[in-house]
Amino acid sequence: AEAIGLYNLGQSCCLNSLLQVFFMNIRFTRILRRITVPPSPGQRRSNVPYQMLLLLEKMQCGKCKAVGPTDLACCLSEHRVKLFVQHDAAQLFLTLWNLLKKQMKNPELVAELSDLYTICIQEHLACQKCSFEIKSNSTMLTLPLPVLDASSHRLKTLEDSLQYFFHPEELTGQNMCFCQQCGRKTTFLQSMKLVHPPQTLTLHLKRFCFEQSFRTHKLSHSLPFPQELDLREVLTEDQCLANDSEKATWQYELFAVVAHSGSTSCGHYCAYIWSLTECKWYCFNDSEVCQVSWDDVKCTYGHSNLYWRETAYLLFYMKKHPQ
Amino acid sequence: MAQWQEVQNLANTYLEQVHQLYARSALPMAVRQCLAAWIEGQNWRQAAEPLSSHAPMLFHSLLVLLGESLGSLGSGYEDFMLKHNLRKAHRDLQAEFGKKPERFANLVANLLQEERRILRLGQAGGQGGSVPPPSPAPESSREQQIQRRLAEFQTALQEAKRAFRHLEDLQDAFDFCYKVHYQPGQERNRDPEYIQELQTLQAKLQNLDRQRRGVLAQMQQLLGRSETLQELLQQELGDWRLRQQHVCLGAPGDTNLRHLETWFTELGQGLFQLRQLLRELNDLRQKVTYERDPLVAETPLLEQRLQEQLTHLLKSAFVVEQQPSTPNAGRRPLVLRTGSKFSARARLLVRLHDRNHRMEAKIHIDRDPPNIKGFRRFNILTSSSKTLLAGDSPQEGLICDFQYLTLKEQKDSRAGKGKGASGEGPLVVTEELHLITFTLAYAYCGLELELETTTLPFVIISNNNQLSSAWASILWFNMLSSDPKAQQFFSSPPAAPWPRLAEVLSWQFQSAAERGLSRENLLMLARKLLGSKPSPDSTVPWPKFSKDGAAGFSFWAWLDGILSLLQEHLKQLWKDGLILGFVSRKQEEKLLKSKMTGTFLLRFSESVLGGVTFTWVEHHERGSPSFHAVEPYKASELVSLALPDIIHNYQMMMEENPPENPLKFLYPNIPRDEAFGRYYSEKQEGNLDESKKYLNRRLIRVSSRQPKWQTEEELVVATENLEMLQLQPEGQGTQQPGGLPLPPSQGSGTAQVTPGNLGTPQVTPGNLGTAQVVATIPGTAQVTPGNLGTAQVTPGNLGTAQVVATVPGTAQVTPGNLGTAQVTPGNLGTAQVVATVPGTAQVTPGNLGTPQGVTTSRGTLQVMATSPGTLQVTPGSLGTPQGVAVSPGTPPVVATGPGVPQVTPGNLGTAQVVATGPGVPHVTPGNLGTAQVVASRMGMTQVMATSPGTLQVTPGSLGTPQGMATSPGTLQPRGLGTLQPQPQQVPQVVASGVPDIQGTLQVAPGAVGSLQVLPGGLGVLQVASGDLGTLLGQQGTVAVDTGMLQAAPGAVEPQQVPEEQGTLPPELRDLELLPGSQDMQELLQALEGLEPGPGTLGTLEGLEPGPGTLGTLEEAELMPDMGETFEERFQLSPASAALLDHHDPFLPQPEDCALPAVPSLFSSSDFLPLHIDASDFQ
Repeated sequence: AEAIGLYNLGQSCCLNSLLQVFFMNIRFTRILRRITVPPSPGQRRSNVPYQMLLLLEKMQCGKCKAVGPTDLACCLSEHRVKLFVQHDAAQLFLTLWNLLKKQMKNPELVAELSDLYTICIQEHLACQKCSFEIKSNSTMLTLPLPVLDASSHRLKTLEDSLQYFFHPEELTGQNMCFCQQCGRKTTFLQSMKLVHPPQTLTLHLKRFCFEQSFRTHKLSHSLPFPQELDLREVLTEDQCLANDSEKATWQYELFAVVAHSGSTSCGHYCAYIWSLTECKWYCFNDSEVCQVSWDDVKCTYGHSNLYWRETAYLLFYMKKHPQ
Repeated sequence: MAQWQEVQNLANTYLEQVHQLYARSALPMAVRQCLAAWIEGQNWRQAAEPLSSHAPMLFHSLLVLLGESLGSLGSGYEDFMLKHNLRKAHRDLQAEFGKKPERFANLVANLLQEERRILRLGQAGGQGGSVPPPSPAPESSREQQIQRRLAEFQTALQEAKRAFRHLEDLQDAFDFCYKVHYQPGQERNRDPEYIQELQTLQAKLQNLDRQRRGVLAQMQQLLGRSETLQELLQQELGDWRLRQQHVCLGAPGDTNLRHLETWFTELGQGLFQLRQLLRELNDLRQKVTYERDPLVAETPLLEQRLQEQLTHLLKSAFVVEQQPSTPNAGRRPLVLRTGSKFSARARLLVRLHDRNHRMEAKIHIDRDPPNIKGFRRFNILTSSSKTLLAGDSPQEGLICDFQYLTLKEQKDSRAGKGKGASGEGPLVVTEELHLITFTLAYAYCGLELELETTTLPFVIISNNNQLSSAWASILWFNMLSSDPKAQQFFSSPPAAPWPRLAEVLSWQFQSAAERGLSRENLLMLARKLLGSKPSPDSTVPWPKFSKDGAAGFSFWAWLDGILSLLQEHLKQLWKDGLILGFVSRKQEEKLLKSKMTGTFLLRFSESVLGGVTFTWVEHHERGSPSFHAVEPYKASELVSLALPDIIHNYQMMMEENPPENPLKFLYPNIPRDEAFGRYYSEKQEGNLDESKKYLNRRLIRVSSRQPKWQTEEELVVATENLEMLQLQPEGQGTQQPGGLPLPPSQGSGTAQVTPGNLGTPQVTPGNLGTAQVVATIPGTAQVTPGNLGTAQVTPGNLGTAQVVATVPGTAQVTPGNLGTAQVTPGNLGTAQVVATVPGTAQVTPGNLGTPQGVTTSRGTLQVMATSPGTLQVTPGSLGTPQGVAVSPGTPPVVATGPGVPQVTPGNLGTAQVVATGPGVPHVTPGNLGTAQVVASRMGMTQVMATSPGTLQVTPGSLGTPQGMATSPGTLQPRGLGTLQPQPQQVPQVVASGVPDIQGTLQVAPGAVGSLQVLPGGLGVLQVASGDLGTLLGQQGTVAVDTGMLQAAPGAVEPQQVPEEQGTLPPELRDLELLPGSQDMQELLQALEGLEPGPGTLGTLEGLEPGPGTLGTLEEAELMPDMGETFEERFQLSPASAALLDHHDPFLPQPEDCALPAVPSLFSSSDFLPLHIDASDFQ
């Protein structure tokens, strides 16, 4: 089946790109196809998973080059996802995912959806004065990766950025925390350990920075990302909390890139997605879909002199050897 | 070829599909045949859009054309039948689609699409599966890729233009209707006819809006693709720059800009056309606009993006085609002399200009002079500006050619020099780098840009004796600098890595005397420079190269002396390889020791600037041999007598015996006259005709024997270096180290060859020979064992080994780290390949050959068996072997560990794949191939059968094979594993699965597939058809025949209607409740109770202190679930602040919308109520 486009309904390029990323993920559609149908027409109309499935079926009947996600968009607007508004892809992804999870109802499916997307980490806070330590497990949907380091120097590659993200940070001065043991505010070392990355790992490049607290502007410089990502090679022993058999699954392949072109105030999203069934790259620009190559995907690395060009914003990696 | 013609050429199986397609089609095949060309020429897809004005027009045209062809038919019997059929078709079509022409357009569009699909299948099948379908096409060269992308860009651009024309039509139609029908006012609001008209108008506007968005999406796509294209062009241009730099240094290479100019011009042209299209799009907006007009929001973005791209293209397209050089500099550009003429040329690769606009090009020298004390400043004496004349020579392109330029030093510029300067002193003249900048005021189609480019740095001298050291600077800079504008380079010049320097030195000899330096030559030079054997990490500092020298001159001065000696007097001898050249004294003795008395060699003197000498060996009855060398000859002597003549007539004056020539054999054993005979000059001194009365006389060189031979200062203390000396190994084996061609060995010898840096050894053992080749960085070893020979090749780091075994040799290849081994055994040959981390081994056995490959971790093994060899591949952990069997070989592939074997048998081949461990084998049989796959423990097999292969899949315990059959392969699974066949888009029965006990069968056919599943006892049957829903059988009790789903192959029908039992009502087609599922309401309640509470992460507040929370409260409420974790993180980090404004600035603000008061007009239940801005219509 050739890939099908989605008509732009008015600033819906962001939604369209994310939907394509969801639909091209066969592991996700396997879950989606098993949802239970809400009984009443009204419930069906406002059920996001059901509307997504309907849209998927419409796309897959393969009769036209693009379909309009009108019903889904209406359904989303009932859940306060506004229409005709330029969304941030990372935020919309989170919103969509939460709506999906909330409305899927079947606990088995919800568990599978979580398994597919959530990143398990452990946070450590250790007092530097005494032995007091706080550990807490938490989950994340995306890793928000910096593209600049603390002193605003450009990070060179995605691996550097990941490494920097998991780098422990000393909380001192104003950021000091209260230590129960010492009974006063002390310097803490804050660190994060990766416990279990999911089947589909979502990375979010923080390609924007604040200038004089008012204006945000986009960082378009080059940040190459690999086609194959081995987290065992990127992270140090201290940054992981997993045994060897768990770590053996930490090898990833790039699955999709949601790219943004333009400035922070006006822009366009498109998605580059590796078709798992056809083994080739596609580029989705709303209703336009075309087959592309790795060269095209590489073009979204960014370029410091080309500010308006497409730059990767969300990266989706998939486990090479699922358990 | 036209599509219909291609369809008719299809093989019968595919033709049958076409017949079936038309059997159920409302468009008779007769009509398709009759109007084939016309039908294919129309844009039916576009016409099929709702309310298209195009559809009735096309439908009408078709009927008219059909009528015309009816009239032109003759009265024969065949024509009679055809006439009847066409007349019937005319009537039927008129009746069926007369009122719904857009349905007819949709029908034709779908038919054409389906034809293309069948064509693709048929043509792929016809190629005999020589190309494995899942793997991408072999990466073509960048040049081909650029050309392909340029063509695609052009096509897409034309398509965008067509879509734009269509948009214009739509807008005109809407505009007309609007002006006629839209009459704001109260009195007609209740008139049903008027309401009807308004609804039509509304629909037309919806359609216009969709087309506008479609065109914009096309533009976005086009810009995205052209970005990639430009990236490739920039890479190609970067390569050209590097090539130009190397060619300046004397490397061979092509610096023609023709291709680049064509490509840049084509892309530039395309982008300018796109720019024009964007302008016209803006004009459309001027005429009609409405609320949420996408043109308002998106065109500014597109314009910015395009402008940036075009500017980038033009700026990089301005290049210096010819670097500054004086006319007679020959091979040494970039060294200029004050007062002498020189020239330089720049070119704009985008050959687009406005004939009416004069473009001015200017040059400046040292526009931004570096801050170096005493840096000399120069003026360009001749005119420094030039008008780029358009139309002068269109085929030559846009060039600024500055000729006859001269430089003059500014008088006062060195005032500061030598006046007790504190800190670093000024650079010497030959280390001072200067630049010329070209600027061009470019203007085309309203785009104005200031373009500029700079030359490579050059050195300005005032005297010819500075030329040699000036050239050394140019060598050093271009060899090491990555920044072509680094004028401060020699303030702290970096050291040169030896391998890089060796290459550049070799180019000097190549360009002076057409032969580079051999490996032995370079080894001797390295010892001289470094004092030891070179390693890949050895570096040479700049002073060591150009300044210091024990003998009173620097290394470079010595080498340059030899270069000019070679060029002027010894070119031919050097070119023909008769001068061994760079051999140390110690080396020389070792070489000559074992040779016959009178064996001599030619080498360059190390103690004299620009001198050549010969050394010969003399054996005595007792004692060790003695070596004699003559005092070096210099250019001044070679002017009067050429070296071959000197050798020819050289005499040794003995004390008592008559004089004799001690030079008998050129090393190793070539008789003197055989080696030099053709260079002897016949010319004798004086004129022969006039001088008959005189006796001939010749000028000869004579030495007298002295007790001690003249010694030369040995500059280098060499250590023993035996491997270098194996120029002629014991026995009958033979080798060819780089530079010294020797005949191949015959018979049963053993050849051992070790190429070092940069050498290329070629080894050809004869019958029964054994060749062992070890390639080290970064040489290339090529080994061809003959009959019965055994070739063993071990490339080291970065080496490339190519082994070709012919009948019935055995080739063993072991690539080391990063090495690449390519092995091709011929008939009856046996190739054994062992790839270790992370080399790449490619093995291609010929007929009857048996390749055996073992990859260990991370290696990649590509094995290609042609008929009827046997292929055995054993990947180690993480290795990836890829096997392709062409008919009728049988490649059994055994993967152990976590390797990934990929096997694609071609026609008639049989592939057996056994995966153990957690490997994932991919198997794709081609036509008629048979693939047998056995996945054992933990293995995962993916099997893809293309028509009409047979696929047998036997999963072992816990293995999971996934099978995908495209028409009409057969899948036969067995055993305990899980089988997931997924046939795709096949109109016939394509997959039948029979799982045995305890197997799980998951079958997911694609859109049009139909499926027969016959599960045995205890199996779990899961059938998931793309369109037709999920059937979950209960464990152990599978209803046998109810799983059959048949769908009409649907291209023609707008919707598929499942017929058999087991299907569901349309609303629920995609889903079926699980058996025994609870009441829905109950379930919902149960689930609500189960929802996880907000995550706990109290410590987050201190984690990422950012400037406040940017999310809105509304959004926070939206995400109660998934743990507050996400939400909190999102708000806390500055990262998670929205990249984009939530409020689109391009959306018209309420006060901007001068909307007419017809709220009722567009308040229909339509999803997208678009509002017409009446102020735009007068």
